[in-house]
Amino acid sequence: MAQFLFNLFAAFTLVCALGVVVNKNAVNAAMCLLLALVGVAGLFVALNAYLLAFLLLLVYAGAVVALFLFIIMLLDTKGEQRPGLKHASLVARLFAAALVGAGLLSFFARSRLPEPALGPASAAVGAELKLYAYQLFTTYLLPVQVIGFLLLAAMLGVIVISKKLDAAEDAP
Amino acid sequence: MNLEAVKLAAANNSWGALFPELMLACIALALLVFEVVLPRKQHRYIPDLAIIGVAFTLLGLFLNFDSASLDSETFNGLLHHDHAGQVMRVFFLLSALLVCVLARVSLAKRAVPRVEFSHLVLVITAAMMLLAQSSHFVMLFVTLETVTIGFYILVSYFRTSAASLEAGLKYLVMGALSSGLLLFGIVLLYGAAGNPALPMHSANAMHYRDLAAFLAANPHNFVASVGIVLVLAGVAFKIGAFPFQIWIPDVYQGAPTPVTAFLAVASKAAGFAVLLVLARDVFASYAWLVIPVLTLMAGATILFGNIAALTQHNVKRLIGLSGVSHAGFLLLGVVAAASGAAMATGAVYFYLFAYLIASFAVFGVMTHLAGADDSDQELEHYAGLAKDNPFLAAVLAVGLGSLAGIPPLAGFMGKLFVFIAAFQAGARWLLALAAAGVAISIYYYFGWLKAAFFESLAPSPDGPARPERTPVGFAAGLALSVLALGSILLGFYQGPLGQWLTLK
Repeated sequence: MAQFLFNLFAAFTLVCALGVVVNKNAVNAAMCLLLALVGVAGLFVALNAYLLAFLLLLVYAGAVVALFLFIIMLLDTKGEQRPGLKHASLVARLFAAALVGAGLLSFFARSRLPEPALGPASAAVGAELKLYAYQLFTTYLLPVQVIGFLLLAAMLGVIVISKKLDAAEDAP
Repeated sequence: MNLEAVKLAAANNSWGALFPELMLACIALALLVFEVVLPRKQHRYIPDLAIIGVAFTLLGLFLNFDSASLDSETFNGLLHHDHAGQVMRVFFLLSALLVCVLARVSLAKRAVPRVEFSHLVLVITAAMMLLAQSSHFVMLFVTLETVTIGFYILVSYFRTSAASLEAGLKYLVMGALSSGLLLFGIVLLYGAAGNPALPMHSANAMHYRDLAAFLAANPHNFVASVGIVLVLAGVAFKIGAFPFQIWIPDVYQGAPTPVTAFLAVASKAAGFAVLLVLARDVFASYAWLVIPVLTLMAGATILFGNIAALTQHNVKRLIGLSGVSHAGFLLLGVVAAASGAAMATGAVYFYLFAYLIASFAVFGVMTHLAGADDSDQELEHYAGLAKDNPFLAAVLAVGLGSLAGIPPLAGFMGKLFVFIAAFQAGARWLLALAAAGVAISIYYYFGWLKAAFFESLAPSPDGPARPERTPVGFAAGLALSVLALGSILLGFYQGPLGQWLTLK
């Protein structure tokens, strides 16, 4: 049953992710992204990582995709007609698709890991808040601090790339 | 997890071992505070504070070079401090210092925010220093992302220029793709090494030592080998090795010149620091896979970089593609290190230092010759440089000569060491290819020198005018003289640096 659910959610995620890429309408693409994230949350639940599933739904599916939709509506983008494919580019695409297909086939054919004998499962770190928080604030304290700087840099970047230049301060 | 284990883990977070990174982080935050507190008129002095801060951090690092935490693991195995890590710390601090000096010249030509630039350079530098010392894939990925996100911003920093924005977007897409490949690889390795049915499996499979032990016990696991190839591909994006070099010319051309220098030198060096540890230590028992992959990559990179650089007229594209070929030479050193040549690791580090010194000399000259449109730097703009400004022309000659590997200069010694290491490792045909690459590279480097020294100032009446050359200021002049002298001295006498780099 768990295996079936895992496969189901994985297939669902993949189909929705494909929908994000091929959809010409930006709103539809964002909705496909939402569904793909729900699929990933399902995968997390199947792996007993309830906390991660919850956070994913809350932050990404809830906040980030909503933000995407706002921006898409603000920009009012229309699906553009794509230029016709050149012959060479079509051949290149087919070749790339064949390469990816061959790679995936060989991976499915050869990547058999032995099934572990499953004992009583130890609690997954992503299962509950307390365990997760202990890990974040002890073992992984340094990466958490680094990510703090990453977020600060990202925020500064948004400001620097979009703010109005100050005539007195930023002049050459 | 009981409370004792938590306390033990917390006690292992020895922040004292990270004082250079902490210094940089504090300076970076202080810059932002200064911007808020100081009156507007004094804002233009804030980037100078960053330069002074980095210089003092470098001094502090030199004073504590053989620190107590050497050869120990801190932060529960996330970091491993060793001699190579100290060397890379010095490397990144030096490049940050030079980038800040170049940025003073380059940013003065356009209307851009200045303080944030210094802040980002410092944050990226600190992250690269941690990256070079990480011994855990979580740490590796987090620091790599910090570096990459900082670079997305820096590359598109001249946002009023279309070329800069285009470069930022291209770097964003390619960077996301490479992060994806790297993550796929890490996940496959983690999944294989965490499987309880396999010998030497580990609950902490992201840690390099546990992973290496697992790989040694399972020398032909298919899933693990796919993971290894994907991790190598992710790192190859960062260093710009052959099948993953596609972003280099456009991004290097569009980015502001100091950022191009930072990207070409420090980002590439960070990639090589990671690659050395992975190929030599972690993936050592998969040498049957790693060495052929890296050998092919090195050969193709040397050929592609040199041949593609032959036809370039834009000097930023030229130096970008020649940087691809340098990545190929460095990969040759990594192949030698992975095959167990004794001096290969030291040779790679020496090459990186020689490359740093020579590249920043050339980028310094480029910064002074660039006009308001930073992406438009053509070979023709160098005409008559030797008559106009003999100092810049001399620095350019030394820098390019060192990059080309002309005998008495540092670049020659770097290439020589790498080639000797490759000879010891028995990579004969790759060595022949590299020698051919050097011969090709001399052609385009000397084409550039020819433009600067032998072409007269005869601006065509209907052609676009050459951009105004910036006069050399005190700080930039000092930095350029030191770099040129360093390139010459290091070619004759490697004594302390050579020992220092190969010391175990």
